[in-house]
Amino acid sequence: MSDLDKAIEQLRQCRPIPELQVREICFKAREILIEEANVQIVDAPVTICGDIHGQFHDLMELFRVGGDCPDTNYLFMGDFVDRGFYSLESFLLLLCLKVRYPDRITLIRGNHESRQITTVYGFYDECIRKYGSANVWRYCCDVFDYLALGALVIGAGTSVQPTRSADGEDVETKVREAEDEVEIEVIGLGGVVTRQMLRREAGMINSTNLTPSALPHLSSSGPAGPLLTGIPGTGASGNSRGIATPNNAPANTGGAVLCVHGGLSPLIDSVDKIRLLDRKQEVPHDGAMCDLLWSDPEEIDGWGLSPRGAGFLFGSDIVKQFNHLNNLTLIARAHQLVMEGFKEMFDSSIVTVWSAPNYCYRCGNVAAILELGEDNSNAVLRSGGEEVLFNRENTRRLASTYMGGSMKRGGPGRRYRVFEAAAQDSRGMPSKKPMPYYFL
Amino acid sequence: MALVVPNPPEQPRRVKVYELRNNDWFDRGTGYCTGQVLNDEPHIQVKSEEEEDRLLLETRIVKDDGYQKQQETLIVWTEPNGTDMALSFQEPEGCAAIWDFVSHVQNRIMSLSSAVKLPKPELNILSSIENMMHTLTINTAGRDSLAKFIINEDYIPKLVPLLEMAEDMEMLPELFTLCRIMKIIILLNDSTIIEYIVTDEVAMGVVGILEYDPDFPTHKANHRSYLADNSRFKEVVPIDDPDIEKKIHQTYRLQYLKDVVLARILDDPTFSVLNSLIFFNQVDIVQHLQTNTNFLKALFDLFASDPLPPEEVQRRKHGVQFLQQCASIAKNLQGPSRSQLYQNLIQHGLFNVIEYALLNSDPATRIAGTEILVCMLDNDSGMMRNFIFKQIQDKTKPLTDTLIELLLTEQDLGVKAQVADAIKVLLDPSQTQPMEGLGKVSELMNSMTATRRPPDDMPNENFFSTYYDKSAKKLFKPLIDLEGRPPITFLSSNESALYTHLLELLCFFVRHHLFRNKYFILTENIAPRVAQLLSAKEKFVQLAALKFFRACVQLNDEFYNRQLIKNKLLEPILNIVIETMPKDNLLNSACLEFFEFIKREGIKLLITHLVDQCRDKLQSITYVDTFSSLMVKYEQLHDKTVPYSADEDTTPRNSVNGGKRWDGLKDLDAAEEEYFNGSDDDEEVEYSAVENSQKRIRTGGKAVLGASPSAGPAASIKSLVDYPDDDDVMDTEDAEGEPVKTDSGAANSVSAPPSDPGIENLNIASRASSVAADAPVEDTPSTPATDADDHVMAGSLPPTPDRLSEKRRREEEAEEDGMERLLRSTKKRSPSVGKKGGVNSPSSTGGGGGKKISISFASKGENAKGKKEEKEKEKEKEKEEQ
Repeated sequence: MSDLDKAIEQLRQCRPIPELQVREICFKAREILIEEANVQIVDAPVTICGDIHGQFHDLMELFRVGGDCPDTNYLFMGDFVDRGFYSLESFLLLLCLKVRYPDRITLIRGNHESRQITTVYGFYDECIRKYGSANVWRYCCDVFDYLALGALVIGAGTSVQPTRSADGEDVETKVREAEDEVEIEVIGLGGVVTRQMLRREAGMINSTNLTPSALPHLSSSGPAGPLLTGIPGTGASGNSRGIATPNNAPANTGGAVLCVHGGLSPLIDSVDKIRLLDRKQEVPHDGAMCDLLWSDPEEIDGWGLSPRGAGFLFGSDIVKQFNHLNNLTLIARAHQLVMEGFKEMFDSSIVTVWSAPNYCYRCGNVAAILELGEDNSNAVLRSGGEEVLFNRENTRRLASTYMGGSMKRGGPGRRYRVFEAAAQDSRGMPSKKPMPYYFL
Repeated sequence: MALVVPNPPEQPRRVKVYELRNNDWFDRGTGYCTGQVLNDEPHIQVKSEEEEDRLLLETRIVKDDGYQKQQETLIVWTEPNGTDMALSFQEPEGCAAIWDFVSHVQNRIMSLSSAVKLPKPELNILSSIENMMHTLTINTAGRDSLAKFIINEDYIPKLVPLLEMAEDMEMLPELFTLCRIMKIIILLNDSTIIEYIVTDEVAMGVVGILEYDPDFPTHKANHRSYLADNSRFKEVVPIDDPDIEKKIHQTYRLQYLKDVVLARILDDPTFSVLNSLIFFNQVDIVQHLQTNTNFLKALFDLFASDPLPPEEVQRRKHGVQFLQQCASIAKNLQGPSRSQLYQNLIQHGLFNVIEYALLNSDPATRIAGTEILVCMLDNDSGMMRNFIFKQIQDKTKPLTDTLIELLLTEQDLGVKAQVADAIKVLLDPSQTQPMEGLGKVSELMNSMTATRRPPDDMPNENFFSTYYDKSAKKLFKPLIDLEGRPPITFLSSNESALYTHLLELLCFFVRHHLFRNKYFILTENIAPRVAQLLSAKEKFVQLAALKFFRACVQLNDEFYNRQLIKNKLLEPILNIVIETMPKDNLLNSACLEFFEFIKREGIKLLITHLVDQCRDKLQSITYVDTFSSLMVKYEQLHDKTVPYSADEDTTPRNSVNGGKRWDGLKDLDAAEEEYFNGSDDDEEVEYSAVENSQKRIRTGGKAVLGASPSAGPAASIKSLVDYPDDDDVMDTEDAEGEPVKTDSGAANSVSAPPSDPGIENLNIASRASSVAADAPVEDTPSTPATDADDHVMAGSLPPTPDRLSEKRRREEEAEEDGMERLLRSTKKRSPSVGKKGGVNSPSSTGGGGGKKISISFASKGENAKGKKEEKEKEKEKEKEEQ
């Protein structure tokens, strides 16, 4: 067993690892993260997770519900630290997994991955308490600076394999014909399928929000879009766009999903723009990088001031235009507590995923993770190779062509797994570690 | 218990009294109604208006909830004897006044009558006690009276013995109930109770009761054994005052309660009560110790004996840690008492202790030492510089050199990082005064101006010149020594960490020490050395090197631009793009950002150089349009027939990378904007020693001041804008640069109100920072650790007196003027002021920012400034959310 595996083992038991080892791991993580793009490309299948906030035992519950790493691919959308009592163990475990399985787990930066915020909201104090000096906090903050700002999930299928409930019956599913595809599936507490949404229905029922508590319904999103041969959000997307795909053509891919902690920025009109940021810095108080980590969607038109004092509020028109221009079918983000664990907004063009159940140990919310399935029907997605990826010349032209069209696209097939806070017994009593000794 | 009713409504109100007789309202007459407290009992009286002595009504307000207010003027109730009564007031106000009285009395009676008695605690009635308490806590009055009852009746000491009994009999349900009762009591949020539960008398019993948390039925905490372990208290020097010693233990218990026992269940009010209790205790303790000369003497004598007896090693270590704890407590103190504390400690020899700690072989001690140092620097870096300057005069080794040596040789990378931070703060020209209580903008302004010391501040001045004369060379020796070294292939982790820190410091100096640093970079030929690191194997070292060049171009300063050109340093960066492309890694993005910036700002010198030298390479990079647009820009710059248009480049995408903001979204705070403009002026002062010296002196604010020293900025704007410019080349450039700059400048100032990243979507969230208003912990999370960039402030140094050419002197004057003006000017100046960066005589100088503004830099300074204010705002925000 390597040292790294040992460290992972130890961290899984929620025991901190020695300072020297933390340093080693942070250095290794830096080597890996520096090679990642500001918007890291991630292949489906992948499980997307929202805020963790140092709730270590709930993170373990997440892995139990979603499958262990590396068996399941994970994408964590930031805010690993602060608030909870085990920020250190949670972040280090994720970081160790990143070092151990770099292609299996993606970590992007949240607004709490910042020196200034962590000194106020707990991570700094926790490091001081657990190590007696700020060294470990420094090492971690250095790593924060290297974390990617977002990720682009490609190759997601338009449907997910329907899950059978424990008793073998489909819940809330009408007679389903073989060719029907499940676009949305919600697996509630206890692994019970609480809802399945067929793609066919999806096109017919109009609604604005999808929340687990709502009645079965779905957005007005139409049939899935045309075949993509490149990565949406890059110039390569839609190379075959010249061939108009009939509206009712079967979906081949769920399109690209942009994952970012907060949301959009008025300074960023394309995913490519994010690539032009120098992300290696403390999260600034304004500007594009700040907005990506701080903004929130809101039922408004256009942009609005954020009550948070950083980032912006953005409305459905902004999201839809952005998705359209960048050939995205969905934006996945975290950053806001949703009592139901996840919340789709703006005709399912954006979703908030929240993965810290019973937030702060007393909010009473459930958490969720979002699984995007693999696109089985079209395996050639990345066959174009890397050169194609960066052929950005076409982006604008294609995007504008596409804009003119009235085609609507469905999102990727998505399965939400909802889970509760880990059972009390499994976690022991959550508490902060006391100061080891005192002089005053 | 007395019934206190504030201001019974004694003013008579005209009213009709009715009585219900046989389902009919009988008019008892008209009179004047008052509310009164007679014999400690509340009454309503109505005196007849015809015969003053006759009482139409005289009734005692009772507990029963029989009173009703109907419409605006009616009060209806039932007398204890069953009679229904009504008062019909002439005026709604009269009715309201009497009604207030009635409801107040009723609340009072409710709370008193129900809270006054809880049965004496017994194991068998615990659950009914819990239920009674629960009912009481529903309203505020009930909570208040319950709290009073618990204190007055010594209820807690009566509960504590039950713990042992229940434990002996293993009565788990009772233990859980007991724990729930204790939680209710604590969450009453009464500071007297909380102070009481950490006293020696009951502390163990209370935490013992809390060990049986019904939320975790299978776990039992071990708070008692933890707190009973007295070895956790390290008494370096005996504290002879028993009260203070008690207080120390109680404070520790409070912290333990806050962090461990109650961490999960604390609500915001209780959290802040705990925090303020801790804070006040700490103030008392520190106050006592620092005035206790015997204690201080004994403490510092620990470090006096030489040679060190081996058994004392541990005590010394603890002594340093003790001082470190003092320093971290001091961060919460008010400014004056904090300075007082340091004064006292310094008198007794704090500096010696720091030196001792820095040179210690134990990394933990070195860390503690640097932490004390950073705390002191945060408190008052001027004081530290004075001290160091004195060291220099005394020909002893200055602390700066100790730190530099430590940075260069330190093996512990954590200490190394902290030392680098300390050096940065020490050499931060803007950090000269502590900032206190920045609640209001006016105060903020005061401290902002205060941080800019008048130019005649000799110690600081001398301090910086000594640094550049002597220390800088030592500090950057590893960089200087790179000369002639073969291409860098291998760096140890220690080396790469060192280079990274050095490069970060260098960036900092580029932005903040304009004159001296330029001279230093020139004479030591630093730029090509940094370029050597661009080829390091470690990408983060390459990145750090790149950041240096980025900082240079950020200033858009001809000196730096020429340095880059002369040494052909753009090409290596371009090479990195080519090596890394089209792989979208961090290094690649950072390089693209570098060239994007040059393109966006239209830095003519660099664009020309780049295209002239590397046209082929530029053409070969097609995966982004940055480089082709650079070439387009080149054509524009060199084609005089096409009037330059700033169209696309002034659109928001300009600001994609910078810390710039959208126009019009936020209101501009005049004070902050003034600050921006002020600092711009300072940066504006340029030292261009080299190639084209006399021609290209920029002498910042001088003309402005000279022309209208006290006239408002508006006047300056006018004279600046109208002033004819006689440098053709520069003129073109300026014209080109201007719109862009104006735009970004405006955008920048729009961003001025400090953003407030602390606000969270949940107010619970605020706990970490929600400290009672009187317990300011603003600094707590502090700075030793924070990225020093956060503390960065715009500003430049007064030049050294020893290099006074004519030109230099002019610059110096200009700079002083700039500062003066900053201090005086109060009005907003247009960000577009002073577009003429390249004016060539002091009297015709353009004052403002135009080309010379370093935007992100200014905004960072603002951030540092705004930090406290931010947190203030944050608190307010959280309050609102609650």
